[in-house]
Amino acid sequence: MRVLVVNNAAPFIRGGAEELADHLVTRLNAIVGVEAELLRIPFRSEPADGIIEQILINKNLRLYQVDRVIALKFPAYLLPHPVKVLWLLHQFRQAYDLYESGASHLCHCASGAGTVQVVRNADRQCFLECRTIYTNSPVTQGRLQKFNGFSSTVLYPPLLDAERFRGAEYGNYVFAGGRVGPGKRQHLLVEAMRHVRSTVRLVVAGPLDDQAYGSYLLRLVDQNEMSSRVDLLFGFHSRDQIAKLVNGALACAYVPIDEDSMGYVTMEAFAAAKAVVTTQDSGGVLELVRDGETGLIAEPDSQSLATRLDQLAGDTGAVREMGRAAKSVLDAKALSWGYTIERLLS
Amino acid sequence: MKIVIASSFVPFVHGGGRFIVDWLQQKLCEYGHEVERFYLPFVDRPEDLFDQILAFRLIDVSEACDRLVAIRPPAHVLPHPNKVLWFIHHIRSLYDLWASSYRFVPDNPAGRAVRAAMMDLDTRTLREARHIFANSQVVARRLERFNGVSAKPLYPPILTPEHFRNDGYGDEIVVVCRIEAHKRQLLLVEAMRHVRTPVKLRLCGTSMSPAHLQLIRATIAEHRLESKIAFEDRWISEAEKVDRLAPALAVAYLPEDEDSYGYCSLEAAHARKAVLTTSDSGGVLELVKDGVNGLVVPPDPMAIADAMDRLFVDRAYTARLGEANNRRISELAIGWSTVVEALTS
Repeated sequence: MRVLVVNNAAPFIRGGAEELADHLVTRLNAIVGVEAELLRIPFRSEPADGIIEQILINKNLRLYQVDRVIALKFPAYLLPHPVKVLWLLHQFRQAYDLYESGASHLCHCASGAGTVQVVRNADRQCFLECRTIYTNSPVTQGRLQKFNGFSSTVLYPPLLDAERFRGAEYGNYVFAGGRVGPGKRQHLLVEAMRHVRSTVRLVVAGPLDDQAYGSYLLRLVDQNEMSSRVDLLFGFHSRDQIAKLVNGALACAYVPIDEDSMGYVTMEAFAAAKAVVTTQDSGGVLELVRDGETGLIAEPDSQSLATRLDQLAGDTGAVREMGRAAKSVLDAKALSWGYTIERLLS
Repeated sequence: MKIVIASSFVPFVHGGGRFIVDWLQQKLCEYGHEVERFYLPFVDRPEDLFDQILAFRLIDVSEACDRLVAIRPPAHVLPHPNKVLWFIHHIRSLYDLWASSYRFVPDNPAGRAVRAAMMDLDTRTLREARHIFANSQVVARRLERFNGVSAKPLYPPILTPEHFRNDGYGDEIVVVCRIEAHKRQLLLVEAMRHVRTPVKLRLCGTSMSPAHLQLIRATIAEHRLESKIAFEDRWISEAEKVDRLAPALAVAYLPEDEDSYGYCSLEAAHARKAVLTTSDSGGVLELVKDGVNGLVVPPDPMAIADAMDRLFVDRAYTARLGEANNRRISELAIGWSTVVEALTS
């Protein structure tokens, strides 16, 4: 069986979805009788009115001698194919929840509303044609149900390399991994470091989404003379380096705005028995993090986060306890690639 | 420099069209560039030819990179203010193969309109490019003739030429390439009926066509050539290829009207082996000159058999051709530094 995994690609940008797509292809190829390959279709979300062109690109491409398509994201999932399984990581949120909440780059005017309608129509037609629809989290599942009226089954993406995250000693730093950008809000953590009273340190490591944001963080550290307490390690890091930072941390922090899924950052921390500090508006992360049980949940502001960071530093017994609980919560989900692949091929 | 390489592909089909892209990506990175590569699916079927080309045209990576290098068609239609083409072939059934059985639209007003639209579209998008390089003179001449654009030949190197070695000149003429009708391994099998020396033939490679493999196998059996022809119809690894070429007497490569010299001719040159080819093999003749670094004979079993015998009988001559073939690489400046320089200047 020839299985084509289809994903979007913003040129030169790699994040969790790209890692997941690569890994999925590797796992599929390990199965006897399956030949898998990845198709990456260039995507740009700007300008807002260019979205219709992005839809046209994907609807006009053709596949030949492919037995099954596993599609992950809008608009790549619009690529026509008779046997398409959707493992939905993202709809185009600008045309759905972000539009409703006024956070979309599509305007509330005739052209913006028109674009929203085109996206929703294209989605509807595609969803009707899909053989099965899986979603990566209850958040994505709920959104699909609410806006498009399609039911789906949640299929959590398992960790790609769980064996690396075995935990180690609890160090004196909180680790914030993942892509670095305004949507991930690492600035809240850096700002929080101005207010902490304990000796806890912060380590931020990950590829920069946005150069200006990186400069802003560096300036924050510089102006507040925090260079001995905050490490900003921008850029690509090997999986081993990331695992080392997670395994040696006191705890981890992940404070994105309304994330769709639990996030690999959270899962890696939990696998390594580390509590996670997050915020009330971090979306899917809250599926795993329970306040005082598997981590701490702050208000999305620097003062509130500073209090939680101090709380961790002040009670290492509680930190270990929460870390152990975090690990059991993740283990109880029993996520496995074997099961995931079986669902996607059935 | 931030470079996007764009090319087309057919998922699950591997071959020369991917090597040139993958190797270029690797080499551009080695030369310090930041590279992103996109393979976009393309099927040359008349019913959705232009729909697909529309999709390619709408893909805009202008803001993401300093330069676009486009390789297999229709990747050249992607817009970019700083677009460089390494053009490897047209959609040939609408170009030079129009009068052949490969033509996929009828030669009527509708079919001719498709052809004219394709040529017009190609010509306009080719003209947007800052530089056009072709993988051979054959392709460069076609660009001149059909689209009125001038292109310089930029010969595709292989990835790791240093792996190839020469262990002397044995009894076998070796062919390591895809086994397909247009590569004409069958012509070599036919020739083996007529040789008068103990020269041997080894055919290696995979095929898209089980029927064609069967035909070759049956022909070998019918003429009881099993003792003279080794037939390895399977995937040959790079290391195995090196081992097959090292003790070879010479290499044979006689495709029908090929666009370029083909990686197997170049591999022969790196292994210091002469190439036996035919007068209608197209781009191969840009590399191989008769009596200089190989033998060029008519595509006829008797003539090929005669050439094989000559190679077998006069080993000193065959060795001289092989040495000359190695010198041909530098004569034509085939190498990655040439390629990287051309595509980034």
